[in-house]
Amino acid sequence: MTGETGATASEPAGADDLVEFAWTDEHADLRQAVRRLMATRAPLDRARAVADSGERHDADLWRTMAEQLGLQGLAVPEEHGGFGGTLVDVALVAEEMGTVLHGGPFLPTAVLAPAVLVPLAEHDGEAAALLGRIAAGATTVAVAVAEGRHAWAPGLVTTRATGAPGSERLTGRKDLVLDGADADEVLVLATTDSGPAWFRLDTTDGPRRERCATLDLTRPAATLHLDDVPARRLGGPDTDGAAVADRAALVASVVLAAEQVGGAAEVVRRTAEYVTTRRQFGRPVGSFQGVKHRLADAAVRAEMARSAAYWAAFQRPGTDDFELGALVARSHCSEAFLQTAKDGIQLHGGIGFTWEHDMHLFLRRARLDATLLGDAAAARERLLAHALPDLAPSATEVA
Amino acid sequence: MPVDLSPDATEAEAYAAADAWVREHLPADVLKAALGAEWPEVAAFVADPERSTPWFAALGDAGLSSPTWPCEHGGLGLSAASAGAVTEAVTQYRVGRTMADFVGLALAGPTIIAHGTAAQKERFLGPLARGEHRWCQLFSEPGAGSDLAGLSTRAEQQADGTWVVNGQKVWSSFAHLSDFGLLMARTDPSLPKHRGITYFLVDMTTPGVEARPLRQMTGHAEFNEVFLTEVELPADAVLGELNGGWAVAITTLMQERNGLTGRPAVGDGKADELLRRAHGNGSLEEPVLRDRLLRMLVEERALQMTTLRAYAEAGRGAAGAEGSVRKLVNAQLEEEAGALAAEVDPLTALSWPAGGAVPAPVEEFLAMKTTSIAGGTSEIQRNIIAERLLGLPKDPDPEKDKPFSERPRTS
Ligand SMILES: Cc1cc2nc3c(=O)[nH]c(=O)nc-3n(C[C@H](O)[C@H](O)[C@H](O)COP(=O)(O)OP(=O)(O)OC[C@H]3O[C@@H](n4cnc5c(N)ncnc54)[C@H](O)[C@@H]3O)c2cc1C
Repeated sequence: MTGETGATASEPAGADDLVEFAWTDEHADLRQAVRRLMATRAPLDRARAVADSGERHDADLWRTMAEQLGLQGLAVPEEHGGFGGTLVDVALVAEEMGTVLHGGPFLPTAVLAPAVLVPLAEHDGEAAALLGRIAAGATTVAVAVAEGRHAWAPGLVTTRATGAPGSERLTGRKDLVLDGADADEVLVLATTDSGPAWFRLDTTDGPRRERCATLDLTRPAATLHLDDVPARRLGGPDTDGAAVADRAALVASVVLAAEQVGGAAEVVRRTAEYVTTRRQFGRPVGSFQGVKHRLADAAVRAEMARSAAYWAAFQRPGTDDFELGALVARSHCSEAFLQTAKDGIQLHGGIGFTWEHDMHLFLRRARLDATLLGDAAAARERLLAHALPDLAPSATEVA
Repeated sequence: MPVDLSPDATEAEAYAAADAWVREHLPADVLKAALGAEWPEVAAFVADPERSTPWFAALGDAGLSSPTWPCEHGGLGLSAASAGAVTEAVTQYRVGRTMADFVGLALAGPTIIAHGTAAQKERFLGPLARGEHRWCQLFSEPGAGSDLAGLSTRAEQQADGTWVVNGQKVWSSFAHLSDFGLLMARTDPSLPKHRGITYFLVDMTTPGVEARPLRQMTGHAEFNEVFLTEVELPADAVLGELNGGWAVAITTLMQERNGLTGRPAVGDGKADELLRRAHGNGSLEEPVLRDRLLRMLVEERALQMTTLRAYAEAGRGAAGAEGSVRKLVNAQLEEEAGALAAEVDPLTALSWPAGGAVPAPVEEFLAMKTTSIAGGTSEIQRNIIAERLLGLPKDPDPEKDKPFSERPRTS
């Protein structure tokens, strides 16, 4: 019953399936540890202060995360010097970070980069070494995929790689590169004569990294202008860069979905607190059904989002069910967080529309999260193949 | 003979045991039809009492119709998650007990387990598990729906300890086919409305009980009005405490919400079926309809995941207010499914051969509002979520603390 798509009588569930929602004490401990760290060192006003000051991130906290909790190594396998956590572990961390809108290099360095590098490291010592340095908290990495109006469309990338193997050069423009102005390393998806491939940019030589203004104030981003700049190709000669990018986006989607859960649940919590204390017409505004029912719907969305994110996190990457879970989570959690953030502002009234109030920070984050790894509609289109496996591939092939 | 399964069986073990049992015991022709997805044949088997009665008895004896119930009362003592796996194993062949038994298996059984005396458990649970008794729920009244505690059916105790009941119930599903009923009646009108109610187990053949089927908007007559006139009930018909019926009813209502939420498994559902139809007739190429179907697919899968999570996290605990979340979502999904069924196949939904079978899209379209009203309306579920899960203030109820007898007469 776990993990079956299509309940056909002839295929009972495999007994070796991971058991969904089998929470352990280790899960609870990890969640508590991250929650405590965030509460003391990175509460929401800290995220705001970092953003206001134009600081990139809190470097002390970054060290503490690596030294005390090993968070940067959670998504890195043990063989590459990481802690080999499960996707559930990484999701729990992301959820707690989402609650306080923690930004900075964590998502690109500790989630996106490992998702890209792990498959590349199978054939490439350089990628493996990079994973080790990520796990140690010794480096930060940006991942550059987005171009033009496509946030994550590996098949449509136009940045071009030229030159002989070992001394390639990249030309093109990459947008919305999280931490792209400051990260120590930049991984770039670019096209070659044999299809898309991954490159490690030589950051010392040439790329113009243009720091951007960002809707999500807590996550700095840059545009990279690559004008025939040196880079090195990662992975083996046969590595399919688009497939790596696609799988990385699915893995990262699950983590991002957990972040969306953290954000949405926090909006519900803060709003419930506000509407029970704010009084109008002689009673708490939370006693009006228009308010109660809107917030009840938000709570329902957040609960559903939690189920979707963690169901996916409990699947084994690479399986059909994993893809299904990641796509359901991307679609549901993206829209759930956005709608909940809007409702949170609505139920706060005028105060919710001010710069000083935190509600808009959630809305800003929700908008970024909903686009970063491909949008909800594209995820749904891909789900068609799961519901109708016999359908001709042309109708389901969407970049 | 119950299947050989420890109460601590994992989901995978429970699934495997139930699956193996069904494959061994289901009549060979039906198993073959199920494996070949020849569902009309399977449905005919379930609908034929000659064949399905012994099957349901065997299923019940195996403990597979009531897997969470205690072993001594026709169950397997399983956790919610493992029980869900059993149910899933049986439903994949579509040979489990039907919706007409929902009140008995999902509501009456667990309520009796939680509040019944040893004698009541002994008397009712075994036959329920084996499908010998059908039950109905006699809660709603013409004057008391969402505000169920405002019910006015009256039960008066006689000198010998027996009871006489007078009143009217309404919307009672399958009451005309039922052997027993779960009845809420007022036993002390001098107390505030929630406190003067007692819960009874009623033999529907008792003189004075009269069920009259009501025709529903679907054209079918599944629910009834039930008239109770000088109905004499024995003293041991009381379930739970005298005047403590509200607490017993909460058990029933929580079970009901928990039960009206779809399957605890992630896989093929209503959205998939609609997508297949849309693919079949070409309407899938219509972009707006296509995305609505896919949205429904996402929401249905997310609900399945939520149900699975609820079962896994509940362990052996009782159903809680969390069930309202899933009941609300399921109501919205059913509504969307019914609406989409008619959009995917608009002409089939609008006219069909006179005298012929009513096409599925018509049934689905007309039934779409069922779950958003039955079992507590969606508005009431939102109130429960807001009040119990989020801690928002309760809706004002001016009658709440007044003696029931002093409230202004409304309808
Ligand atoms: C198909 C079907 C099967 C059923 N089967 C059974 C059965 O077997 N046994 C049984 O006992 N009952 C059964 N019912 C009855 C069902 O439980 C009631 O219809 C339901 O609880 C609503 O009560 P009502 O019909 O009196 O509507 P009302 O309570 O009069 O509601 C009318 C409208 O007002 C809204 N409303 C009421 N109170 C509030 C409030 N506090 N806040 C906001 N909105 C409110 C409602 O949501 C609804 O939209 C069944 C109903 C249906 C449709």
